[in-house]
Amino acid sequence: MEKPVDRKAEASVEDAVQQCGDDVVSPARRRFLASGAAAGGTTLVSGFPFIARARAADKPLSGTTLNVSCWSAPYPKYLADYIPEFEQATGAKVNYETPSFPIYNQRIDVELSTKGTAYDVLNITFIYAGRWIGAGWFEPLDGYMNDPKKTPADWIPNDFLGGTTASMKDKNGRLYGIPWIADVIMSGAARADLIHKAGKRMPETFDEVGTVMKAVHNQDGIPGFIIDNHYGWTWIPWLQGFGGNVFRDPPGDLMPTLDTPEAIAAADFFANLLTSYGPNGVISYTYDQVVAALKQGRANWSPNNETFLVQMGAADSKVASTCDFALFPAGPKGRFPAVSTHAWGIPVGSKNKDAAWEFIKWAMSKEMVGRMVREKGYTSITRRSLIEQADFKQKLMINGRDVAKIYLDTVELGASGYMKYRTVPVYPQVDKEIDIAIQNVASKQMSAKEAMQKAQANAVTQLRRSGIKL
Amino acid sequence: MAASTGSAGRAWNRSHAFALGLAPALVVLAAITLGPAIYLVVTSLTPLNLVDPKSALDFSHPLGNYRDALTDSRFLNSVWVQAKLSVATVVLQLAAGLAVALLLNAHSRVLEAIRTAFLIPMVLPPIVVAVIWKVIYTPDVSPLHRALAAIGLPLGSLITNAGTAIWAIVVAETWEWFPFTMLMTLAALQMIPNDPLEAAAIDGANRWQLFRYIVLPYVRPTLVVCGLFRLIDSIKAFPLIYVLTNGGPGTATEVTNYYGFVQAFNFSYWGYGSAIATMMVAGVFLLSLLVGRLDRGVGNRD
Repeated sequence: MEKPVDRKAEASVEDAVQQCGDDVVSPARRRFLASGAAAGGTTLVSGFPFIARARAADKPLSGTTLNVSCWSAPYPKYLADYIPEFEQATGAKVNYETPSFPIYNQRIDVELSTKGTAYDVLNITFIYAGRWIGAGWFEPLDGYMNDPKKTPADWIPNDFLGGTTASMKDKNGRLYGIPWIADVIMSGAARADLIHKAGKRMPETFDEVGTVMKAVHNQDGIPGFIIDNHYGWTWIPWLQGFGGNVFRDPPGDLMPTLDTPEAIAAADFFANLLTSYGPNGVISYTYDQVVAALKQGRANWSPNNETFLVQMGAADSKVASTCDFALFPAGPKGRFPAVSTHAWGIPVGSKNKDAAWEFIKWAMSKEMVGRMVREKGYTSITRRSLIEQADFKQKLMINGRDVAKIYLDTVELGASGYMKYRTVPVYPQVDKEIDIAIQNVASKQMSAKEAMQKAQANAVTQLRRSGIKL
Repeated sequence: MAASTGSAGRAWNRSHAFALGLAPALVVLAAITLGPAIYLVVTSLTPLNLVDPKSALDFSHPLGNYRDALTDSRFLNSVWVQAKLSVATVVLQLAAGLAVALLLNAHSRVLEAIRTAFLIPMVLPPIVVAVIWKVIYTPDVSPLHRALAAIGLPLGSLITNAGTAIWAIVVAETWEWFPFTMLMTLAALQMIPNDPLEAAAIDGANRWQLFRYIVLPYVRPTLVVCGLFRLIDSIKAFPLIYVLTNGGPGTATEVTNYYGFVQAFNFSYWGYGSAIATMMVAGVFLLSLLVGRLDRGVGNRD
């Protein structure tokens, strides 16, 4: 692991040297002075006011406090470890928080609506992107990215995958968020050995999912299927695979289409997977529970986020040697793996917009993301140049499976536009109705038809309440 | 005449002095309680949606949210779920609280220690209680599920079964709050004089008759007040539902305040959420009036 550089100490000494008028300091002497300062820098600086002044001049964000928030996910957690380096290099103080996904969204939705000044850098959540960007609650970033004084060319603004930046643009093409994740759904098996033992392969189609589940369910006492209970995310690829969609023609026509024959068939199929092959209480499983169950070999196959699934290959996983991965299976009407992205943005109320951009630029620089890949094992990256590097591909070669290729193929599939349903301002309302409908079917309170008809009626009510004309 | 005028003047000055002294406290109280309550009611008369801040001033259909609520099947279901949850938790809390209080109504150091231990659930932060029960109700990590499976009685998940989810919450809520009734009832039990108990015992009354005809009449007023307080508090049940079931499966445990929360915080429908909250405030206010009247009734009988 690369050791963090004590930039504060280095800068202080160099400044001090210049202040003393010593223009001919050799590199070796500088290094010597730097290492001396690392040991006793604090005393030195506090004892000589001119050194402190010099340090402040070299740290452009001295005295600036940045309030940064993002929902709790691997990348923002990893980033927390590097933030002291940013503070040392720039002099800024960063207040950083990572609440859970629903808490983050609720808190920030209210904060943004007031155009408050509490935050300087915020995550733009995918399902809220349409609402937050459409309402003018985030600052366009093109001005920062296209200004060479603010963004050097070697930061490579156009390095980010097109499939990830598309949802962060408004209708005029202005960009509001720098994507830190491409969250793609693929499929992963914790115990692929059981699938192979049953004479099957990783399921490629919905039909094969059914036959594989029958073959491996309860083998070695392990449930065949597991998925987290955010069905407004995890069920949609099945819906689209059956030929259905959430809305009639998003984003223009937002009439919900949850009661179509395709939607009912998808709900029935999916709920059957949950009830027939899922673990006890599967509809209460959150994503962290799913990851834990997969890593411990307490469940087998899951169509889930790449971020979660690749953790099966980590050193602390009990299934590191038996896991396998594949594209999300194709339904009768095609393959529609979900692709979403989350991005750093600057709320319009921020009083420190330039400093906020410095933070985003640092957090999403090729160097920083590359370090996260090398040092933390982060793999859901959005910079094409890093994805195409040999060491990244090697890192995502798990048990002989090229997961990087699955990842890129999925992102490219997502760019075809079937994810438009998700970034409309009213998706959170429909998302909740879908959660309820699938739970109603899986808990056998209603048939798929009844549940989806009820979801349709409730979704229409919710959308009308928002003022949308249907 | 002059004396009476002087006395009236002093009384007037005194009452004004009291009013002046009270004024700062009343102003603060009004600002922190009445102000938000009035804002809540005013907001409930608008279709306020955070995405459209101008809707905060749209009073064109002031009763629109209330009309919507009366035809909103999820809202009506939430009221029904709330009623079931409230009645079940209050009845169980009173029964458990009274039973434990009767068991602990004696002077002994051991019993005092046990009494203190029973108070722990009530003083725990509600979110901690919710997490404890989340562990108990999650089959793959639950000691309860593992123990039952070990003796050949595997149990399906209680919080994902529509028939048992509400009862799972009732049990957790009862565990958390029965100590309140226990504490109040224990205090009432310790106030019962010995004379009537001894007289009845001499007359040949058995334990049940002592309880039925002497103890229960003494503690009944306390139980009534406890019941009403818990009833009001049960309407505010939130952390358990948020952590354990999120209102599910489906809407099986979606109580009214959780539904209002979803409308306001998930969907940004603050006008509609405020209307739901206003109706809840009105309900709680009516219950509070009832508590006050019963309390006065009990006081008069005393």
